Amino acid sequence: MAPRKMKPGVYSVGAIDWDRRLFDSLIPLPLGTSYNAYLVQGESKVALIDTVEPGLAKELFANLDELGVKKIDYVVCHHAEQDHSGSIPAVLERYPGAKVMTNQKCMDLLASHLRIPTTACEIIADGAILDLGGRTLQFIFAPWVHWPETMFSFAREDKILFTCDFFGSHFATGTLYADDEHHVYLSAKRYYAEIMMPFRQKYGTYLQKIDALAPEIIAPSHGPIYRRPEFILDAYKDWTSDKVKNEALVAYVSMHGSTKVMVDRLVDRLVSAGVNVKQFDLATIDIGELAMALVDAATLVLATPTVLNGPHPAAVYAAYLTGAIKPKLRHAVILGSQAWGGKTVDVLKGLLASLKLEMFDPLMSKGLPTAEDLLAVDKLAETIQARHAALVAGV
Amino acid sequence: MKKYICSACDYEYDPALGDPEHGIAPGTAFEDIPDDWRCPVCGISKDAFIPMN
Repeated sequence: MAPRKMKPGVYSVGAIDWDRRLFDSLIPLPLGTSYNAYLVQGESKVALIDTVEPGLAKELFANLDELGVKKIDYVVCHHAEQDHSGSIPAVLERYPGAKVMTNQKCMDLLASHLRIPTTACEIIADGAILDLGGRTLQFIFAPWVHWPETMFSFAREDKILFTCDFFGSHFATGTLYADDEHHVYLSAKRYYAEIMMPFRQKYGTYLQKIDALAPEIIAPSHGPIYRRPEFILDAYKDWTSDKVKNEALVAYVSMHGSTKVMVDRLVDRLVSAGVNVKQFDLATIDIGELAMALVDAATLVLATPTVLNGPHPAAVYAAYLTGAIKPKLRHAVILGSQAWGGKTVDVLKGLLASLKLEMFDPLMSKGLPTAEDLLAVDKLAETIQARHAALVAGV
Repeated sequence: MKKYICSACDYEYDPALGDPEHGIAPGTAFEDIPDDWRCPVCGISKDAFIPMN
């Protein structure tokens, strides 16, 4: 992908990864991704903002060559994760004399993850200003977006905020800007749910700081660039707030159909009662979709048969992930089939314990659900509907 | 005074109890703990803690 001009002297020089379909050996990328790097040229100095995934370094270099870049004074490193920092060693080799400008924690992580020597780095403090000659970059520490060392930088005269992973989306597109807001919203929400959500309570202060800076452009490290910043700022304010929606996430796995009978009945009753339902078959699920559905849901229903004396492993995986990404769920319930004993409920409860949810009484059938079992499911649907009504009214 | 939870290991800091083993007296608000304090269970830095409701 060719370099693109954002403003005179500011260019997008990163690489688009159209064909990548898995990230972190964990997260599906249905729409590919990009690694955004930016070139900022002042009258006397040139700064490269982040780099690219190591396998695509030659694309970064082709972009820099096309712009006639012969010298880089500074490589600003916002984040030590290798999809952004991984080409720093190659950049330092190609542009000797370049200094990595970063914070102490990031420098330590660059050493431990990439063996970048501390002599190649210069430590900057929170709020420090880097003068490029007629153009200045101000550093803003923002830990836990999504690692401990993360930070932003603000090109003050141009009003461009470089936020690295914050506000990112895994969305490969030839269009530089996020003008297709409908599509970008979904990719950005998925991205937020997958890695940012556990730290959402920290983001209120960052969003306030960004409001105060009033950037014209927000340039993240993945996906299209925002030239209407309110779009992504409003989205993040919504997602990170404590408000939940009248939504129930029903995640199930069923081996021979008994659990599915209860799931079908519950979903039927919930939908009739006006509760928004998202149903997922855990045997074939894209976990990014599960994460996305957890952003707004008030209730999680986890339905599983009992196998090998415990929950189906797919249910264990879902419960573990849910506990790890720390959604703002309020309630959960476990249901399914357990015909001769096992520790299904206890194992799943344990995995969700850190979320401190209100757990409704579990409903376990002994094989095919009886009429009594189904009446209990009906009651559960009523309980969920009533709880949601109270939440939506009260919050 | 609010309780805080470690985002890495779920250890809960209760201000009523403090962390006397590491020099934080009972009754110390989380905000008043020095910045170089670390989670007594997993060792992560203080800024990884999140307030609990």
